Amino acid sequence: MNDGLVVQLLVSGIAFGTPLLIAALGELLSERSGVLNLGLEGMMLMGAVCGFWVSQRMGGPEWLALTVALGAAGGVGLLMGLLHGFMTITLRANQIVSGLALTILGGSIGLSSYLGQVGGLGDERGRHTFEKIDVLGLGDLPGIGPVLFHQSLIVYLSWVLTAAVAYYVFRTRAGQHLRAVGEDPRAADAMGIDVARYRYAHTLVGGALVGMAGASYTLAITPNWSDGMTAGAGWIALALVIFAFWRPGFVLIGAYLFGVVSSLGFNLQVRGVDLPPELFSALPYLLTVVVLVVVSNAWAKHRFGAPDALGVPYVREEA
Amino acid sequence: MTKRFPNVLANEQVDFEVRSGEIHALLGENGSGKSTLCKVLTGFYWPDEGSVSVGGNETRFRSPADAHAAGVFMVHQHFSLVARMSVAENVVLGWSRERNFRFDRRKVEAEVAAVAEEFDIQVDPQLPVWQLSVGERQRIEILKALYRGARILILDEPTAVLTPQEVEGLFNSLRKLAAAGSSIVFISHKLHEVLEVCDRVTVLRQGRNAGQIDLRGERNVDGRELARMMVGRDIQLTRRSRERPPRESVVLRLVDVAANNDFDREVVKGVSLEVRSGEIVGVAGVAGNGQRELAEAIAGLRRPTRGSIELGGGALPPGDPRAAIEGGLAYVPEDRTGVGLAAGLRVDENLALKAVRGGDCSVGPFVHGGRVRQRATELLEAFDVRGRPDTLVRQLSGGNAQKVLLARELSSGPKLLLIASPTRGLDVSAMEAVRQLVVSAADAGVAVLMISEDLDEVLDLSDRVAVMCDGRVTGILDAERADTEEIGMLMMGQAVPA
Amino acid sequence: MSTRVRFERRLETPRLLGPILPVVSVAGALVIAAILLLLTGHDPLTTYKRMAEAGFSSTQALSSTVASATPLLLTGLAAALAFRVRVWNIGGEGQLYMGAVCAAGMGIAVGGSGLAVALPAMIVAGILGGAAWAAIPGVLRAYLNTNEILTTLMFNYIGGLLMYYLIFDSHSFWRDVSSPEAKLFPQGKVIDASAFWPGFTGSELVVPLGFVVGVVVAALLFVLMRHTRLGFDLRVVADSPEVGRYAGMRTRRLVLIVMLISGGVAGLAGASQVGDFSHVLEPVGLQPAAYGYTGIVVAALARFNPLGVVVSALFLGGMTNAGFALQGADFPQGLVGTLQAIILFCVLASELFSRYRIVLRTGGGAPVAAGRAA
Repeated sequence: MNDGLVVQLLVSGIAFGTPLLIAALGELLSERSGVLNLGLEGMMLMGAVCGFWVSQRMGGPEWLALTVALGAAGGVGLLMGLLHGFMTITLRANQIVSGLALTILGGSIGLSSYLGQVGGLGDERGRHTFEKIDVLGLGDLPGIGPVLFHQSLIVYLSWVLTAAVAYYVFRTRAGQHLRAVGEDPRAADAMGIDVARYRYAHTLVGGALVGMAGASYTLAITPNWSDGMTAGAGWIALALVIFAFWRPGFVLIGAYLFGVVSSLGFNLQVRGVDLPPELFSALPYLLTVVVLVVVSNAWAKHRFGAPDALGVPYVREEA
Repeated sequence: MTKRFPNVLANEQVDFEVRSGEIHALLGENGSGKSTLCKVLTGFYWPDEGSVSVGGNETRFRSPADAHAAGVFMVHQHFSLVARMSVAENVVLGWSRERNFRFDRRKVEAEVAAVAEEFDIQVDPQLPVWQLSVGERQRIEILKALYRGARILILDEPTAVLTPQEVEGLFNSLRKLAAAGSSIVFISHKLHEVLEVCDRVTVLRQGRNAGQIDLRGERNVDGRELARMMVGRDIQLTRRSRERPPRESVVLRLVDVAANNDFDREVVKGVSLEVRSGEIVGVAGVAGNGQRELAEAIAGLRRPTRGSIELGGGALPPGDPRAAIEGGLAYVPEDRTGVGLAAGLRVDENLALKAVRGGDCSVGPFVHGGRVRQRATELLEAFDVRGRPDTLVRQLSGGNAQKVLLARELSSGPKLLLIASPTRGLDVSAMEAVRQLVVSAADAGVAVLMISEDLDEVLDLSDRVAVMCDGRVTGILDAERADTEEIGMLMMGQAVPA
Repeated sequence: MSTRVRFERRLETPRLLGPILPVVSVAGALVIAAILLLLTGHDPLTTYKRMAEAGFSSTQALSSTVASATPLLLTGLAAALAFRVRVWNIGGEGQLYMGAVCAAGMGIAVGGSGLAVALPAMIVAGILGGAAWAAIPGVLRAYLNTNEILTTLMFNYIGGLLMYYLIFDSHSFWRDVSSPEAKLFPQGKVIDASAFWPGFTGSELVVPLGFVVGVVVAALLFVLMRHTRLGFDLRVVADSPEVGRYAGMRTRRLVLIVMLISGGVAGLAGASQVGDFSHVLEPVGLQPAAYGYTGIVVAALARFNPLGVVVSALFLGGMTNAGFALQGADFPQGLVGTLQAIILFCVLASELFSRYRIVLRTGGGAPVAAGRAA
């Protein structure tokens, strides 16, 4: 039963979807504060290369090496978030342009391949990886075993993270302020909320998550590093945030859906089903556009739309 | 207290005091320094001289948060509400009585409901703000201040956006709050409201104190006295010569025109009016009585909900600015550099804004740059504007910007000049120049419809005065025979005794 | 009170700053990258010299540079027009794909009838393909007020998938299924050799037709913005939509027109990729190149001026080309992208100096009043 199509699909969906989930949660925090960051792909690649480098060069026990490596990847993502924040919040540069510059900076003809080459990482085999953990020996349970109880620590962490972000955004005072800043920075400012500080904080933390998402490629998925290895995952994570309408729970569902869809073609082919996999892949995007159109009217926009101030620099008015 | 800005002295040695438990009106025309004073009171601005004291202690507010801590709150005309959040969420936004990490929706809702109950304000804390009417939103703003422990509440023209019923409700709440010991500063330029609800009134004129009156004293104060204090002017400006050519054909005819404001509330309620060529018709009235929406409806920027607008004999299609322009409309809007002029573009480009389409400054699909500059040079000369064709409009002074706007509009050879608040915020010399331009346009045969809150201006320049109140024309008078008293009554919507 | 740094808005940008800022930014970026190079044990001067040689010295190097610059020029122009008038079309990527799809389809269909027919047909097909792909987000933005950043982004993915579908998972008109190998390893039909776009050759320097078209488009867009009534209206609406409406302009229609032109030019980039270079619809080559996104960067470097885009496309194209030419053990891989991004960040930062004046002030002044408005 555990070799059945559905279980296999879910397992591979989670495998493909986990980096998307973590990166999208990071982007969600940033976008909720009103800062659009198109630099995900570059930040993930930087996280992948830095995490791998640190894990290869670190001595000490495995858990320490992996923790420090993940931290390094988060740190580099945070720094890139800081650069983006400085450009768009302090200097009020165009968010689209700055984000794309981050993609180029970290991208496969940019700093990530530079560092990979300098560190000579391309030829190395990874020394440390997050292995799958069989929780309480339940991994062989029919159906849910491989899906819920036989995953790597990163996957479990991503579940905790999803819950934490959801709790933070909707159930804490800071999360309430965050939403206000992304919706209506003028009103938030008038109520004494420091708009710039909130935007910086969430762009930075978001960046750190994106960096760690990149590191999950080199530390959990494949035990090596290659140039441009995220292969567009950053872009998909970006779409995912929109698809999920800026809600952490939907991000989780969406990430696995994207993961399932991207492995669906292979799985279907193996089983002799002939449907174009691109159709499945395109569905989430088409659906997103349709929903974006549907919520264009004022009524629905208030319920489901993007943060109102997304992409708009905030400048305090002076009478 | 004195506050200076580059170029302007916004407040000069203004004294202002509010007692606890009173409703104190701050009265003045636009630009008289009311809002500057309030921004100093609430910590937005820093006074250059003088001081602010609350409860006897001198304070130095560095930010609105400091003012809030001292119990001073302002309810702005533009609300600071996040539309997608609930009433309760908005009330506690940025500050809450319990400073815990968790945000407990239920608890917050109960808390807000309790405060609303305490002050007798009716709201449903669970509703998202975007579903509320303007009046309800205003109540939430007040509730927000009360929740935070407001002792002094400053309301900036609170009735501008309300229906008469909502105004009544607001006044009741204010009376209750004052009776409970709060101080309320009521900013307005609507005389009858001030008379109705306030205990004392301080009048500002051109940044200075123009007087303070106790309305609950023995002496019976009426609107006329306040109006004189508000607008009293001692400089003699251009007046319309009363020997004018005989009136000719009707250029603008409005029949039962009605229009809604931005909040979908009917604020123009069936206006009928005619303007003949060579005639200046002044529209007098307190701001916010539908004048702005009426102007926008004539200019095609706002779609009337009923009625017809005829310009030069032909009916204008509703909501079509281009048709109005082609029909011979020149429009000088109230918002000069937000609607009338593109602030980030050069003067010559702004002067060519409409001529480019007409063909005066274009050849086929191309703009004729030489002619644009040539035309600009001529117009700047003719209208005595200090500025070069390549100056950005943003860099012009208010007076020069208004002259550029008039230069463009009058140079198109219009049949009708529609001009709103022609001299608001201008210095005396620019004011005089603009008045002369308006008068000479009429002398040249243009029909002029002038909307202004400045009653003296309306009386000085107009042939006929139409008074608007609550979206209706309450009377049309011959300017020569009209007296301020009569107009004042009409402005307040009262019938003129026969 | 401590010393505060304040940004004061300039009313007028000093004329001298215009040309000086980009030069200073590039110089600053070179210095920053030099530090990185030193840290990793490379000699910056030698590295820069080699890059300059590989990108711009010989006619052969120049030919490759122009070839690299061609798609960037066209996508850069597409972005420059849209961003200049505050229509955020980030869908150049998808519009390029659809331009390539349509141009390739046209090339396959009429390639045999000679260049005189095939060339204009492919160009028109490319423009129409890109414009059509931009039209959907354009209409949604203009008439339903749907955020165009999000929709154009989505259409990039959809366009990419459509392109893959045509070659990899269908027996479409575009796919070559003539031989057994082609059935196993999917590839597109190559257009007839007579429909390959001719380059302009002068003493070894080869300039692809697409580049020449791009220069013409740049000139046209420059004239459009500066000297036509449409451009005039666009500048007004970009400055203030309210003023545009007041002056009787059809503001919705203008937004749509901008999307159509921008999409058409991006589609032209796709057509040029097929006609000038690959001669076949090649998704695997087009998508990772991300010309559409890089075009936005190219446009930003040129501060959204069409003529400036020609320069910045050549500049970035030269660097890209140098990166390819110098690939090897002793040349730091990835330096090119790093340098490009640093340059762009420096240019973005320098924008600040053209818009604001930095004022140091000590004490006094309510902090709130210090925030200067736009």
